[in-house]
Amino acid sequence: MSELQPLSQPQQTAEPLLNVQEMQFWLDKAVAWGQADSPDTQKDTCLHLNRLRDFLQQLLTHINNVSSTAETMKKLPLLGQFLGRLCWNPYVTVGDTSRRLLLQCLWGLYSEHPSNAVERKANQWIRKVLCQLATEEDDDVAQALTKRMGVPAQEYHLKVLAKMVALQQETIRKSCCSLSGINQRCSCDSILATSEACVHLIACPEASPLVGALLQRPVTCVKEALSENFLDALGSSCSSQGLSLDEQASVSLWYRCLPSLEEAVLSLLESVTNTASTPQKLQLQVAQSLLPKACAQHSSMFLVVNDIFRSILKQAEGNESIKSLIQTFTRCFLRELALLQPQTSVPLKAFFPQSPPSLLVPLSTVPSEMPQESWRNHLNWLSGSLQRLTEEEEEGDGRSTRRHCAVFEAWFLLVRCAHWVQVAVQLLVTSQPEDCGPLLWLLTFYHHPTNRWHHRAVQLVRAREAWEHLHSLSSARPRPRERLQALVTLLSSQPQPPSLAPSLTLSLLVHFAVFCQLPLSASAEDLQTVVHHSGLLDEAACVLSSLELRLSEGSCLSNDRVHLRIKELQNTITHMH
Amino acid sequence: MEAVLKNLSSTVELLAVAAHSSAVKQWDRHTVSRAFGWARYCEHVFSRFHSNSAIRRVMEQQLQLTNQSLQDVIPGYSKVCFPDLPRLQHLLLLGLLNNPELPISIMKMLFGTRNPVDNTQGQYQDVTGLCSHIIQCKSACKVLSPVTDLSAAGAEVQGAMLVERLGALLSQGSDTRPAEHFLGCVLQGCEGAGQHFCLVIAAALLTTKNSAAQTAPQEFLLDWLQNKHSVLQGLCSALPATLLIDLAKEHNKFRDAYCDVLKKWASDMEYSISEGEWVQTSTIPTVSFQKLTAHFMALFEACPSLRVNTEKELNALKISDGDFDVRGLSVWGDLLSALNE
Repeated sequence: MSELQPLSQPQQTAEPLLNVQEMQFWLDKAVAWGQADSPDTQKDTCLHLNRLRDFLQQLLTHINNVSSTAETMKKLPLLGQFLGRLCWNPYVTVGDTSRRLLLQCLWGLYSEHPSNAVERKANQWIRKVLCQLATEEDDDVAQALTKRMGVPAQEYHLKVLAKMVALQQETIRKSCCSLSGINQRCSCDSILATSEACVHLIACPEASPLVGALLQRPVTCVKEALSENFLDALGSSCSSQGLSLDEQASVSLWYRCLPSLEEAVLSLLESVTNTASTPQKLQLQVAQSLLPKACAQHSSMFLVVNDIFRSILKQAEGNESIKSLIQTFTRCFLRELALLQPQTSVPLKAFFPQSPPSLLVPLSTVPSEMPQESWRNHLNWLSGSLQRLTEEEEEGDGRSTRRHCAVFEAWFLLVRCAHWVQVAVQLLVTSQPEDCGPLLWLLTFYHHPTNRWHHRAVQLVRAREAWEHLHSLSSARPRPRERLQALVTLLSSQPQPPSLAPSLTLSLLVHFAVFCQLPLSASAEDLQTVVHHSGLLDEAACVLSSLELRLSEGSCLSNDRVHLRIKELQNTITHMH
Repeated sequence: MEAVLKNLSSTVELLAVAAHSSAVKQWDRHTVSRAFGWARYCEHVFSRFHSNSAIRRVMEQQLQLTNQSLQDVIPGYSKVCFPDLPRLQHLLLLGLLNNPELPISIMKMLFGTRNPVDNTQGQYQDVTGLCSHIIQCKSACKVLSPVTDLSAAGAEVQGAMLVERLGALLSQGSDTRPAEHFLGCVLQGCEGAGQHFCLVIAAALLTTKNSAAQTAPQEFLLDWLQNKHSVLQGLCSALPATLLIDLAKEHNKFRDAYCDVLKKWASDMEYSISEGEWVQTSTIPTVSFQKLTAHFMALFEACPSLRVNTEKELNALKISDGDFDVRGLSVWGDLLSALNE
């Protein structure tokens, strides 16, 4: 036992001792804040609130570590005064976190079994403070009136708060339309003050209509009327504390606060890339993120979101889940834009300033909006235009970054509007050797946008090979079974470049299985064999679902036979697991 | 009915225990939730029966009996009367928080974090975080007060409550005495805060009328004002001009009463030779001649139909004063020329 004693000594001194000077600093602050209710004190409180929370947390740890209240009071004689003052500071007591910490500090000082006068007194004091805090009224007249009218205090305070919120909402609403004359006083200062006050009320559900009203106030003045603190606090509450704003308020927040928009895009990216998801779920996730809707309302937001997508795509050009997110996003966006169309007259060009203008409308047009007979011509034209762009780039000897950019932007647009790539694959099933060239080129370009090491020609040959295997499997009699092995070889990773993207071959394989004229059993068997040997089960299932989704939405060639085949093929694949 | 009376009586006893007895030491969160449940029950009983004078009388008797027996055993017991019933939960909370024997665990629950979902699991509503919510609300009002007028919002809420309460009292029958008594008490409660009382009355009269339930109390309030000259005059001198005009536009009765007050103020004026101006003699809140003219002007602008008749009236009064066009001889003549300047 005697050996243990020296050990416990350093432990006690190592315990984090609270800085007495810091205590004094915060007490001075609390005193100053309590003395005047001017905009300056308000600003100062706002400025220090985060640090104050940290200090209260530190204090709480300290209180809980010290064995008795008497001892705590001996070490920190100013503690009671400090906590007592904070209890009457509305900026501290309105926030969930700061109020919780403050109350916990008070509980920490409460002695369940007081052993001396100091502790008994502290207990009494704590009870008194809490009782006053919850039940004392500042306004005697109001108290007398509510009592007389039989209205409970809690209900009264809720009503007053609701009334204040409503009055302020009205002021904000009026301020929007009162700015018609140039000589009228700009109301931005009062809006600014309101938004400053609302920094503290973000988590208070009763004040949420006011937060919404502030956000939805149209930008009528050159200076931003909402305080940066307000927007920051709102953004961080949305991302970290799960605060949910209503639809229009979220959109307004993103519009006014770039970091919160970036945060929303990144969290969408994270959520879709972290979880393996079906195209149907992905579409739901994207639509629920509200981002496509917001982007359709504000082209500037669309540009930001697109910049994020662009830079991610540059880093991960072959990542299929990123590609399908971008496609899904664009599809949802175009749909939202179409819904807005009668009212807004923002040209499509404003949303896609970097895309080649000649390709913009042809690519962004949804296949279902065009007669099916025209699809092949349309795709041949698209393929030709893109081919010309790439040739121009190559003629420029790769030195012209402008041309290089043009090819990238064209490809980026193709990725976003990949519905046409899917139609191309579908048409390849019914193509003949003489007319499949442009469609194969388009498909190859989609999967291999950069002509790295001048491999495009070889990749084109490989793509044609894949197509020929599938074409002869679906048309030759007797069916050449050796072609199946060749497909498996194409799909497995080849040691020497240039290899063909497996996703290209897979998408051909799946589309042939769905659209060819073979009996379902034969198609299912082929698909099963190839997918099984190449180990691309999940990928094939994904291609099938996204095909199903596209057909169900666009009513493109969606007859019962096709749907039936998709369902059966899905069953085949899922039973292989 | 007997069962209701018994429950009422038991709840009042429960409140006494919560406030005064060391028995609360044994209470846990479920006991507290049940106690609040009973208090809520009595609030409901009140809202159900308060307008039924027969039942009310029986309940008052029952409360009296219970209070009596509690007073006998508990020193310092404050009785619960019938009008207290709608705020029984609040009284229960007050009692608990002031009882030094209340376990700290219950305090912690009341001041804890509110459950995000309003869980009405089980029979009783959760009271966790009740005080926390009250504190948050009060603090939110204070945080908003630099940008929104707290007392104006308070007056509006009180005005709406006043209308509601008056409506309830008036719906009990043709006897308006309870309503008059109530208004008298409210007026008393506002002693020393006359300005605030005026704001509450104005807010009550401006509460949007969406049903007959609001028309009756407002009409009653207007009649009451007309009979209380000093209150009406106080109102006309204390309220901001814009609010008076809003009231005049909303209620013809008020418009006429307001106009009468202005005429009364004028008739109380005497010409002071030393100041060369008409000054108030008797009315306590002094209104200057300029201010009086401004009141008239604003009123005429808002209600043009009033102008013709009033000017006719003023003219008749001027004629009765001798119809001189010389300043300082007739307040009516000077008023007319000021109004037509």
